[in-house]
Amino acid sequence: MSALLTRLIPLIGLILIAAIIVITRRAWVPALSHSVPSIWRIAGITVAEARRRRVVHTVIILVIVILLSMTFFSYLSPQEQSRMIISSGLTAITVFGILLSIFIAAFLIPHEVETRTIYAILSKPVRRFEFVLGKYVGALIVLAVVTVVMTAVLVVVLLVQARLVPSTPDSVFNPNLGAVLFAAFMNYCALAVLTSLIILISTMTSTTMTVISAFIIWTVGSMQSTFRDLAEKAYGGAKVLLLVIYYVVPKLENFDFRQEAANYMPISIVGGWHAVLLGALYVAIALVIAGIFFNDRQV
Amino acid sequence: MKTAETVLQVKGLTKIYKSLFTSAGVKAVDNLNLSIRRGETYSIVGPNGSGKTTTLKILLGLIFPTAGTTSIFGKSISDLSVRERIGFLPEDAYLYDCFNGEELLDFYAGLFGYPKKKRRQLVDELLALVGMQANRKVPFRECSKGMRQRLALAQALVNDPELLILDEPTSGLDPAGRHQMTLLILEMKKRGKTLLLCSHFLAEVEEVCDRVGVMYRGSLVAEGTLQELAGGPTQVRITTDKLQPQAMDAISRMASVVTVEGGAITMGAEATNSSVWTVLEKVNEAGGEVLEVLRPRPTLQDVFVKAIGASAEENQ
Repeated sequence: MSALLTRLIPLIGLILIAAIIVITRRAWVPALSHSVPSIWRIAGITVAEARRRRVVHTVIILVIVILLSMTFFSYLSPQEQSRMIISSGLTAITVFGILLSIFIAAFLIPHEVETRTIYAILSKPVRRFEFVLGKYVGALIVLAVVTVVMTAVLVVVLLVQARLVPSTPDSVFNPNLGAVLFAAFMNYCALAVLTSLIILISTMTSTTMTVISAFIIWTVGSMQSTFRDLAEKAYGGAKVLLLVIYYVVPKLENFDFRQEAANYMPISIVGGWHAVLLGALYVAIALVIAGIFFNDRQV
Repeated sequence: MKTAETVLQVKGLTKIYKSLFTSAGVKAVDNLNLSIRRGETYSIVGPNGSGKTTTLKILLGLIFPTAGTTSIFGKSISDLSVRERIGFLPEDAYLYDCFNGEELLDFYAGLFGYPKKKRRQLVDELLALVGMQANRKVPFRECSKGMRQRLALAQALVNDPELLILDEPTSGLDPAGRHQMTLLILEMKKRGKTLLLCSHFLAEVEEVCDRVGVMYRGSLVAEGTLQELAGGPTQVRITTDKLQPQAMDAISRMASVVTVEGGAITMGAEATNSSVWTVLEKVNEAGGEVLEVLRPRPTLQDVFVKAIGASAEENQ
């Protein structure tokens, strides 16, 4: 019953959000005609800035080098080779994706405030929530490009190795492409959730504090089952604190399908769908709160 | 006579920055009242920390007042239609440094929803106006201070604003750059724009402004046209070559003459044009040569020092 309820919460939340959007459409539809181009322009400059600063290029090159270096494990059996490449490749994509997400998102808004480039933007007909959403969409585009490039390289490496590594009677090189693509997609969804939370924190505090908080969220979010186990054993204030952490911080580990992909385990699409729905709810709430905070922020 | 429309109005504006260490906080702006009419060039002058930039930031909705109200074109700055009619040049030209002038202007024009064709045309016009056509592809970070300031002015003009707010437009510029920026401001004035500028370069303010408000410790301590602030006519100083003692004696007895020392004749502030002419004729009759006649108007510097001095005395 409790498991069913937990699974229904994100769905109910999304239905509620959709209902609010539909009911209040008369209020926001006229504003949307102005907001969408503004959000798009801010997103565009965010992407262009990331491209110019060449951080993305460096990360992609690093990941490509790592992925290509994985082709040197020829002493392993074909299946172990494929398992090793999938596992290490997906881990590289996850780790570099998260690092990039933290360092892009954490700097987006505080950097604009600290360098005062925000003055020339907010003195134009741009609403503050449009600025926040534009920055988020820009970060999502950058992360999508990076994820697609890194995944494409991993897929190419797997396909080339599948042709080069000869099969043995008891072992075959299995690129498991479907699972790899699914795991990469879920990793991107986790980045989208993490980025929205980083943006939320960055509307309230400095770059340094945002980076520190982002690492904490990532760590805690990736260890949520541990927190649940600890909460079950704890009592009093500690139990309450652990439960609050368990329910408030997004369960980023639910987006992690690396083990399933690398070990050829069956993938629970329902589990993935549940994580995506809950993630979408987190993103919506985080961005609404970020918009509210940023609206009242003195820049 | 029809009174010009009020473009910008500030009533009882107060801004207190809360501090962790003092319960009272720091009062950056104190009960400021201001009104700017259409087509007027108004300058807020004052020493560093007098509350000029804080006032501009409140007007632009970048920070929020502790008390008081501001309105531009009769509306709040939170109204997007107001921001479609204003342009802002921030102090020290804060723009994205990895883009060139062309890209920056295209981006800022895009925020007004202009289509690509109009943006392209606008970018060309603005780059020509600020003299940056030849350097349109130079990244902002590689631009000189003067080029940056001109680009920043161009971004403030992308929407052909009715009200232009300029924060220290010549700050950090060399004399040539200051001159160029002053010419651009005068051009904007000629085009009928309402200008509000903050500066502590008094010479430039004197050159371009219709009215001046002197801010000190968050308050407006003096306001008016330069003539009003100067407070009426001053003494007349006539310089001649050396006069004979009899001539000096005769001149010293003439109306409004205060002192005659060697070739320096000083007449009181009440001296009229005809009394000055009478003295000049007397000098001529005595065979003297008039070298210079001066009725120096107090400079903004004099006004500024006087206003701040008076305010400081009141506070003591």
